[in-house]
Amino acid sequence: MTYSEALLGAIVEAMDEDERVALVWGSLGGVSGIKLDFGSLRDRHADRIVDPPISEAGIVGIATGAAMAGLRPIVPIGTGSFLFRAWDQLIHEAGGAHYMSNGRVTAPLVIHIRHGMRGGGGVQHSQSPQAMLWNAPGIEIAMPSTPADAKGLMRTAIFSDNPTVFLDHQMLLRREGPVPDGKHAVPFGKAAVARPGRDVTVVAASLQVVAALAAAATLAADGIEAEVIDLRSLVPLDQEAILNSVGRTGRLVVADECAPRCSIASEIAATVAEKGFDLLKKAPVRVNRLPSHVASSPVLEDALRPDAGRIAAAVRGLMD
Amino acid sequence: MAGAGGPARLLELFGTMLATRRFEEVVYALFAEGHFSGHYHLYIGQEATGAAVIGHLSGRDTIFSTHRNHGHLLARGGDPAAALAEILGRAGGIGGGRLGTFHLADPAIGMPHTSALVGGAVPLAAGSAFGAKLLKTGGVSVGFFGDGAFEEGVVFETLNLAQLWRIPVLFVCENNTPGALTRAEGGSNTSYLPGGRVSPVPEALGIPTHVVDGADLEAVDALAADALARVRRDGGPVFVEALTIRWPGNQSQYPTMATGETDLAMAWDAGRIGNEHRGWFAADDPVLRAARRLLELGAADAAALQAMDAQVRARMAAARETALASPLPDPATALDHVLAGAAR
Ligand SMILES: Cc1ncc(C[n+]2csc(CCOP(=O)(O)OP(=O)(O)O)c2C)c(N)n1
Ligand SMILES: [Mg+2]
Repeated sequence: MTYSEALLGAIVEAMDEDERVALVWGSLGGVSGIKLDFGSLRDRHADRIVDPPISEAGIVGIATGAAMAGLRPIVPIGTGSFLFRAWDQLIHEAGGAHYMSNGRVTAPLVIHIRHGMRGGGGVQHSQSPQAMLWNAPGIEIAMPSTPADAKGLMRTAIFSDNPTVFLDHQMLLRREGPVPDGKHAVPFGKAAVARPGRDVTVVAASLQVVAALAAAATLAADGIEAEVIDLRSLVPLDQEAILNSVGRTGRLVVADECAPRCSIASEIAATVAEKGFDLLKKAPVRVNRLPSHVASSPVLEDALRPDAGRIAAAVRGLMD
Repeated sequence: MAGAGGPARLLELFGTMLATRRFEEVVYALFAEGHFSGHYHLYIGQEATGAAVIGHLSGRDTIFSTHRNHGHLLARGGDPAAALAEILGRAGGIGGGRLGTFHLADPAIGMPHTSALVGGAVPLAAGSAFGAKLLKTGGVSVGFFGDGAFEEGVVFETLNLAQLWRIPVLFVCENNTPGALTRAEGGSNTSYLPGGRVSPVPEALGIPTHVVDGADLEAVDALAADALARVRRDGGPVFVEALTIRWPGNQSQYPTMATGETDLAMAWDAGRIGNEHRGWFAADDPVLRAARRLLELGAADAAALQAMDAQVRARMAAARETALASPLPDPATALDHVLAGAAR
């Protein structure tokens, strides 16, 4: 099953099961970039599916209010770059709702975006806003890498009582993989060991897990065993899994499509430096997108990308 | 309605329209041949609006555009070869490959920036005009945007500010939703507005507002002359809603060549029009409409129009070759131009 089929499967299942899963905006079919048969879902739940105008701020705000009223809205924003239009509503209103009621109000909405470098997306269609989001309190962040996790994390996101931003990498949507039947939930805050290894820990999420696995395969040919940790969610973060792995390997590389300053990689490296300094044989290494906008030209885009080659090179740099 | 500058001017504007049409046909072919990837948007069906409005601007003025920018760039005098090279991501592109089709712009021709985020450049157009006003350059700005932009809050904010601060800007909303299939029908109508119209909003703010058939070259030309004169004279905003019938190739998210390469002879030989897309060829296509009007006015005969077309096609073919011969960018320049000033 493809990643996007698995993801949509979780949504269909939740809508059939619970009538509070109520505001699936009509652009959801575009989640895949592949035409999926949404017809029967629309027929079954016509009253709970509405078509979105180009009004990201208003839609996220309305979904936040609806979530406060008891719905569990799923809001596909499309390209992650468009989420910035809704930033204020997301960060201040959705993210602040629980805190600002002294713990009495919840805003259980799911915002879905496709993030990342997609090939030709250019400056305004290639954003990876996860690091900026991570800096905001009150928002859960899920970033699956496999079809099974796409399904399982989406279920958790829908039934979580917090606002969740759910990020799919544009280039993962067609990834194939086995997916458990039925109601499959993957809890937030539980990282997966995507590949075990004894020599170095490579921490990643979303598409970077795929890059890290490719790097690990080439490294294995040279006798270097990399352990790939798939974070699956940033909020909550499974610090224990990271520290356990670094405890075994003594070396840390973090692969991340955000630009380096204040990135996912920065936060993981800082966390390990702070809580696992004695475990480290070498200073952690961050492999990020280079600190620039994403150019439209594929040549310039490739030059920025954190890929398997750069991850493998970073690992080799730690191995002497 | 009489054009602002008579038949000779219409013929000149028609040249711009035809160049845009042939340019877009080249872009389509380059995509179909796999020379670039990703999403892209063509200006086919809206050529009359861009050509006629931009035809009234001077070198001090600025324009701002959207994801559907190719026609605006060409009408403003952009180089087709550098534009194609940019779309192909080549070093010889207007932006060295950094912009791509989404963001074609060229400060050298008074087009500083193009936003591919819906509504993103509307405030910039007003801001550019505000800057010109304070700096007393005598320049004004034109902000082009689609009907979809009216669903974004920033557009309302900008209209209100432009009126409040008396900003000399012409807002041109190119409403191409008439004739569009809705999303439920598998199409890509670009807005959900009451009655499908945007003009009641600027009217409510007291901004002088006009609605025009955006595919009628003469009508847009005349209206743009008046509207820009008023912007310059009154020093405040004017709003134009240009309605154009959706080009059949624009019904879904990706363009298709539903109507084929434009056969200009359909303008004078109705026998060439078949049943498929008959309405488009016979009544809606702004290029064919303008050609018919030129023939009617005696501004040109069929042979002259055909000769003009041959020239335009040769120019676009040459631009295509130049673009394809342009080298790829040097990856070592990937970090250039993030900040102005010395590298840091
Ligand atoms: C902020 C933002 N949201 C969504 C999109 C995706 N998008 C690209 S074009 C488009 C439709 C725009 O319609 P309109 O403004 O009428 O322009 P048209 O394409 O019809 O010329 C949408 C929704 C975007 N580019 N930016
Ligand atoms: Mg439109």
